[in-house]
Amino acid sequence: MSLELKQKERCGIINPMYNCQPAGAQFASIGIKDCIPLVHGGQGCSMFVRLLFAQHFKENFEIASSSVHEEAAVFGAVKRIEEGVMTLAQRYPDLRVIPIITTCSTETIGDDIEGTIRKVNKMLEAEFPGRELHLVAVHTPSYNGSHVSGYNVAVQSLTKTLAKKGEPTGKINFFTGWLNPGDVKQIKHILSEMGVEGNILLDTETFDAPTMPGKDAFAYGSTTVEDFENSANAKGSISLCKYQGASAANFLQTQFQVPSVVTNTPIGIKNTDLFLEEISKMSGQPIPDSLVEERGRAIDAMADLAHMFFANKKVAIFGDPDLVIGLAQFCQEVELEPTLLLLGDDNSAYAKDERLAELEKNATAPMEVIWNADLWELERRVKEGQQIDLIMGHSKGRYVATDNKIPMVRVGFPTFDRAGLWKYPVIGYKGAEWLAETIANTLFVDMEYKKNKEWILNVW
Amino acid sequence: MTRKIAIYGKGGIGKSTTQQNTASAMAYFHKKQVFIHGCDPKADSTRMILGGKPQETLMDTLRETGEESITVDSVVKTGYQGIRCVESGGPEPGVGCAGRGVITAINLMEDLGAYTEDLDFVFFDVLGDVVCGGFAMPIREGKAEEVYIVASGEMMAIYAANNIARGMLKYADQSGVRLGGIICNSRNVDKELELMEEFTTKLGTQLIHFVPRDNIVQKAEFNKKSVIEFDAASNQANEYSELARKIIENKSFVIPTPLTMDELEDMVTKYGIVD
Repeated sequence: MSLELKQKERCGIINPMYNCQPAGAQFASIGIKDCIPLVHGGQGCSMFVRLLFAQHFKENFEIASSSVHEEAAVFGAVKRIEEGVMTLAQRYPDLRVIPIITTCSTETIGDDIEGTIRKVNKMLEAEFPGRELHLVAVHTPSYNGSHVSGYNVAVQSLTKTLAKKGEPTGKINFFTGWLNPGDVKQIKHILSEMGVEGNILLDTETFDAPTMPGKDAFAYGSTTVEDFENSANAKGSISLCKYQGASAANFLQTQFQVPSVVTNTPIGIKNTDLFLEEISKMSGQPIPDSLVEERGRAIDAMADLAHMFFANKKVAIFGDPDLVIGLAQFCQEVELEPTLLLLGDDNSAYAKDERLAELEKNATAPMEVIWNADLWELERRVKEGQQIDLIMGHSKGRYVATDNKIPMVRVGFPTFDRAGLWKYPVIGYKGAEWLAETIANTLFVDMEYKKNKEWILNVW
Repeated sequence: MTRKIAIYGKGGIGKSTTQQNTASAMAYFHKKQVFIHGCDPKADSTRMILGGKPQETLMDTLRETGEESITVDSVVKTGYQGIRCVESGGPEPGVGCAGRGVITAINLMEDLGAYTEDLDFVFFDVLGDVVCGGFAMPIREGKAEEVYIVASGEMMAIYAANNIARGMLKYADQSGVRLGGIICNSRNVDKELELMEEFTTKLGTQLIHFVPRDNIVQKAEFNKKSVIEFDAASNQANEYSELARKIIENKSFVIPTPLTMDELEDMVTKYGIVD
């Protein structure tokens, strides 16, 4: 069957589905313990991103802004960094990392971030002698790339700045990419079943922050400075998202000879199998029966649904590239037909992604993959009568679904119009099971509302 | 009707000097109301008019006291022959964005209504080259309608002038800006007049005036005065008066036809000033 990969032909963007590079860099930064990123730009560059995080997680995150105004844009804004870092250092005695995340304006005026960091390091040494505070330059003008590359740049900058050779740890680095805390939890679950020690970069599981007496209202990640330092001393690195974090793993391979493996994002049975095999190969640990059983349970759930409810249903998927491709692979496993994949950035390297060739090979209906896409690419097709039975993507696409009465499974980031979704995994066998059942339940509700053979649900 | 004029030209060619002397001549000999807006971060576009008074620049004021406190009175100074002056100012070399400074300053002056109806001429004195959008601000919509480029018979000055014409071409359609002519600020190089005449013809414009080299310019400048204020009876003052008259009476406004690099090389070789 055919797979057509092309760039959106129309000029301009109607209803964007991607965010900017600084957003990705900020998401990476909040995964670190004792870390507050300083976004070097106008206040909106941090404010709107924080808002998005808060919407998705219903939690607060600490993100600082250098608050660049007109005069700073003209005279150079590095002074704002100096003041920002010194203020953060003063207010937060436990702070250990400040990624300095640039934006459109400060990249365009050409602020010298590295030079300023050297200067501020001296100021810190004078004011707080002996204090350890890592300043990391993260260059993310948003007219370049998207939140996908911004996340990648940030993880790479953090790794390059912090990693240092030491004693071997025997651990395996896991570069998670921009996954949800539920996915990170799933990685940890798999590792614990296999008896493998992982170094999770970045560990966002703690974003599920309990409200406790006396505790503050903020959520934090739990990857430490030491975790980044020791990434150079690991047995190897496994990256779960090719476009988010794999560059850092490749850096470790070149610089510190830490072997790097980039796996398919482990969404669906086959991808999870591959993932476990890689872990097993790298660690020498066998795959335990408990995971084989989990696999069996997932397959059982999928088999119950696939042929009866999913077969030949056309699915449109939009969002981050690794997620979208992984979900498409999953769809093919359960007889769903992913016919439209929308990727929101202008990354021509998608043409070289081997997973797309594999999707093409396994496709039972013609597929379109549009890059540099927006949500209008989806809506237009729906309005023109293209058959789309299910939409999978983040909450920004909800109106395409509701206006056109197409069932939609919320997945990825942000999913602010459904409660607590980020706590559930899409990766691993558990993720496959959750996806199959969530898709089924979404279709069932749709059948009921549209009175479309809903009686089947009585006899199933 | 106020005519707004932007003066461009290679760095060090004598833009600011020519512009201040021309403005002085307009005011003194031709009784015109003149306003000078210096758009160079070095803020040296008005010192001869203001008698060397260091002028607090608009961007300095913005930085120190904030936008709310900026008024026409606080940033516009009046100098020789009632010529009103403002300097945009800008960042130290190597930091920030001087181009943004020009945009900010011109927008602010317009918002404040500093370019009043009674003015005959507003001059924008812009630094060396149209390096970015900010330095093209004076020739964008509703700003300067006329451009004069200061050049001399030296190769680099001609290259720069040609490059500025290219920059103008981009805006000619959308803003209506036109080239009024090339001012030759003579460097006394061989066959300068002939070269300039050929160059201006090829550009599709005119050599509006050939300003001869005269040490009195430097002498006056040293005394923080324009030549006109320093010695209105001198020959050089008369030259600037002529230039001023020609600009006042100018009817030739064109969209320039910049030369290709090859054409430029050929022309420069022909006049034997390649070395």
